[in-house]
Amino acid sequence: MKYNILNTHTHNIDGIAKVTGRAQYTFDITRPGMLYGKILRSPHPHAKIKNIDYSKALALSGVKAVVTGKDTLGVKQGIWRRYSELCDEQILPLEKVRYIGEPVAAVAAITEEIAEAALDLIEVDYEVLPAVYDAMEGIKKDAPMIHEGVERNINVTRHIEWGDVEEAFENSDYIREDWFKCSGQAHMCMETRCAVAEYTPEGKLTVWTSTQAPYYMQALLAGVLGMKESDIRVISHYTGGGFGGKFELDGAQFCSSVLSMKLFKPVKIVYTREEDLIATKCRTPMYYYVRTGVKKNGKFMAREARVFTEGGAYTSMGATALYLTGFFHSFPYKWEGYRYDGYRVYTNTIPATSMRGFGAPQATFCSETQIDLIAKELGIDRFEIRRMNGHTPNYEVPGQATIASCGLEQCINKIEDWVKSRGKLPANRGIGISSYGFMSGGIFNWFDTPYSFSSAVITVNCDGKVDLHVGAQDIGQGSNTTLAMICAEELGVRVEDIRVHSGDTAECPPDLGAWGSRQTLMAGNATKMAAAEVKRQLLEFAAAKMGVNIVYDLDIKDRWVHSLARPERGLDYFEVVKAALRGKEGQRLMGRGFYTPHRKGMISPAYSYGVQALEIDVDPETGKISLINCVTAHDCGQPINPLGLQGQLEGAISMAAGYGFLEDLPMEDGKILNPNLVDYKLIRAPEMPETEVMEVETYEPEGPFGAKEAGEGLTNPTAAALSTALYDALGVTVKQLPITPEKVLNALREKEKEGK
Amino acid sequence: MKYKCPVCGKMAKTGTAVDCARHMFGTGDKAHRAWFEAQGLSYIDLLLSQTSEPGNKAYITVAELLEKSEAAQADK
Amino acid sequence: MERHLLRVTVNGQEYELYINPKTLLVEVIRDHLGFTGTKRGCETVSCGACTVMIDGMAVKSCSILAMQAEGKNVTTVEGLEDHGKLHPIQKAFLDHGSYQCGFCTSGMLMASTALLKENPNPTTKEIREGLDGNLCRCTGYNSIVRAVDAVGQGKYKEDQA
Repeated sequence: MKYNILNTHTHNIDGIAKVTGRAQYTFDITRPGMLYGKILRSPHPHAKIKNIDYSKALALSGVKAVVTGKDTLGVKQGIWRRYSELCDEQILPLEKVRYIGEPVAAVAAITEEIAEAALDLIEVDYEVLPAVYDAMEGIKKDAPMIHEGVERNINVTRHIEWGDVEEAFENSDYIREDWFKCSGQAHMCMETRCAVAEYTPEGKLTVWTSTQAPYYMQALLAGVLGMKESDIRVISHYTGGGFGGKFELDGAQFCSSVLSMKLFKPVKIVYTREEDLIATKCRTPMYYYVRTGVKKNGKFMAREARVFTEGGAYTSMGATALYLTGFFHSFPYKWEGYRYDGYRVYTNTIPATSMRGFGAPQATFCSETQIDLIAKELGIDRFEIRRMNGHTPNYEVPGQATIASCGLEQCINKIEDWVKSRGKLPANRGIGISSYGFMSGGIFNWFDTPYSFSSAVITVNCDGKVDLHVGAQDIGQGSNTTLAMICAEELGVRVEDIRVHSGDTAECPPDLGAWGSRQTLMAGNATKMAAAEVKRQLLEFAAAKMGVNIVYDLDIKDRWVHSLARPERGLDYFEVVKAALRGKEGQRLMGRGFYTPHRKGMISPAYSYGVQALEIDVDPETGKISLINCVTAHDCGQPINPLGLQGQLEGAISMAAGYGFLEDLPMEDGKILNPNLVDYKLIRAPEMPETEVMEVETYEPEGPFGAKEAGEGLTNPTAAALSTALYDALGVTVKQLPITPEKVLNALREKEKEGK
Repeated sequence: MKYKCPVCGKMAKTGTAVDCARHMFGTGDKAHRAWFEAQGLSYIDLLLSQTSEPGNKAYITVAELLEKSEAAQADK
Repeated sequence: MERHLLRVTVNGQEYELYINPKTLLVEVIRDHLGFTGTKRGCETVSCGACTVMIDGMAVKSCSILAMQAEGKNVTTVEGLEDHGKLHPIQKAFLDHGSYQCGFCTSGMLMASTALLKENPNPTTKEIREGLDGNLCRCTGYNSIVRAVDAVGQGKYKEDQA
């Protein structure tokens, strides 16, 4: 489909603010009379808090207050609000600490230096308890109990099953088992966690914070502070990255709020990079056991997976990650019988939560690595085996979900053509491929919101300019621009006619926020609905003015209100706006839109698909991997913002490839060993490969103009493509992430030994 | 010798004790887990070993118990 | 607390400040002079979010004391624009979508500008190496490389006047 605005080269609407240094992030916010806060953190992975004596800290000149759990309501909060047993976290704990780095007390002072110095004067009396750091240790009978009453530290379990798995295995000609270990990963947002909280005598709290979901912050703060949601205003006009780590309540927001409520002064807390690496939540590490049965022609029959995830000290978003990893481990293929059992285990380590991909990068790594091994053993072409088993449009994942649009086969074909075009590769080079599928937003209402999942309000002013208010949050993925484009396309105006309001709960309608790949589809649908309503009102006046025959339809394109049958006949949009304003007694046109998925199962309203090829160079002497080329064929339904899409693809590759071979959070006795950007290795400009994206356009009936998600699903395949590329290059497989040079060399040595 | 599940009676095509053990593991519901407990085994510990070490030690342990169990003997 | 006099030109304007000699340049820029375009993202001189130009050279402003900039010409991102007229590198970033969350952007713009001053027509390899000190978590760098390359190739020549 060709559209006026959709899928055209459009400047990001926040561009000028960002390239001229005008964009004000929470990091930049200052308020009159503002104090600076710092957090005292536990040095122990597991300990009872016997006593906290902060008298000396309070006596330090410039210190205004010190707070501990005793200054709070002691509410155990969690983002899975519907399930009280999963609300297990007091951000300032009252009884015990469960990970190194957990907040224990917070100080507010007139300067950051004084607040920092005050931390050293707080005396905490701990009773150190035995701790456990590994999921497989934490679940043992004699492991220390981390949360009262939670036996074996089993936090959550999930089970997904369809078909007769035994029968499917019995009907298989070839069965294979593999064991994998997937690592954690830090979100590493360029803007660390931060908040400025300001409580005033009217009993109102304003919190500026770097977040993916202002509405969630508002609701969660209300819960822990004993306030009404509407008395809390959360502002986040510019957010310096999120990636899944910034939609739960964190120490910066909570501690600054508690301090401000005590002092009636604004308090600012900004995490150092070290704090951001040790004391914010990370991607969930997982142990994966996969058993797969196929027919000798390559048809997938049965798969069973048993997964233990290392949950860290609290539930966070771990329950969702546990489910999604099991669900997407079956993607994007059809299975006669599938069974997944997942167990999330508490450990005395940094809590594990959502991170771009949400359990799917781990699932895809394990699945695709094994599929290549199966294909090799059976002598089947790796594209053919994926094609014959891939999802197809309108497929029902038995009892789980109905796939509507699905461009997987076209993606496989495009990547196959590209790989063929590369011809014979030089020595030590390999191309790996990986397919994936992902959700476009989740359906299950674990937050227990009474609001529509997404909402939009549109107002048209007398000069024809449009104010679009959305709760969707732009965290860099470009949702402000995407929604402006959808609005402009539907309403028939230009992107520059739209002013987007977002990131302020006082000005914008509630929206679940930027996570789970939901905004293009859900907030997009809400925006389109609101725009359609405004257009309908405008066309009423246009029809009256133009007097066209009742059988003819009117439309608006590029500020031209016209008859579809005779587009040269029409009126200027601005004229119609003025007429409508007068006709409505001087009241501006307004449209409301909203969207909550209905009758689409319990997982997601739509699924995106793709296939990625990654060409690498491996040095067999050092085991070092270099990324050469990355080509992705991708189905996001109808692309909306191509400039944004390219950026999201490239960003996803850098994050996902980093997950595959560079990034790691090694720990010793619960202490992260590399909490700084020298030792935590990330992809930098010289390591990034050339990238290419090939769009496969499909039409998703549930999405606005047929659109589905893009930015998160693209994070799923790269670690898998890296591992299959290694196999293609040197015939070895590493089943533990990250694939470091050491592991590559070990695998080569093993292979040599076996050869002898 | 063929073996069937002592809890629900299901029998694998192969009829082997190991495949019967796989089924019991996979089903994992309360009734099947209760059988493990009754044998003095911990379902979780077996699952742990299955997930973390190659070699299927867990299945073999269970299979050996099935071979000794009357209820698991399939009718000839 | 002893205070020292610092005279420094920032974005073409000379300033006189009395500061604690331990103050970092980035603190003078952000907190004393209010140029908050320059950001900070780490404590180990690793991320480049604080990159500015001193006498045309890219410098991580968290890595030097403000006193070390005595008498020098500092340019921050706010100094690229001229009364609403964007610098070619800023236009190139807009055209290529070379930013997403925008937090690393000021540092990237300054590192790019310094790079192009030293090497007006760099290869993409040289561009990548020139940006090695600047981390970006959102873009995957390639759109930034494309923007710098476009400026280097003279695609914004009329703006350079």
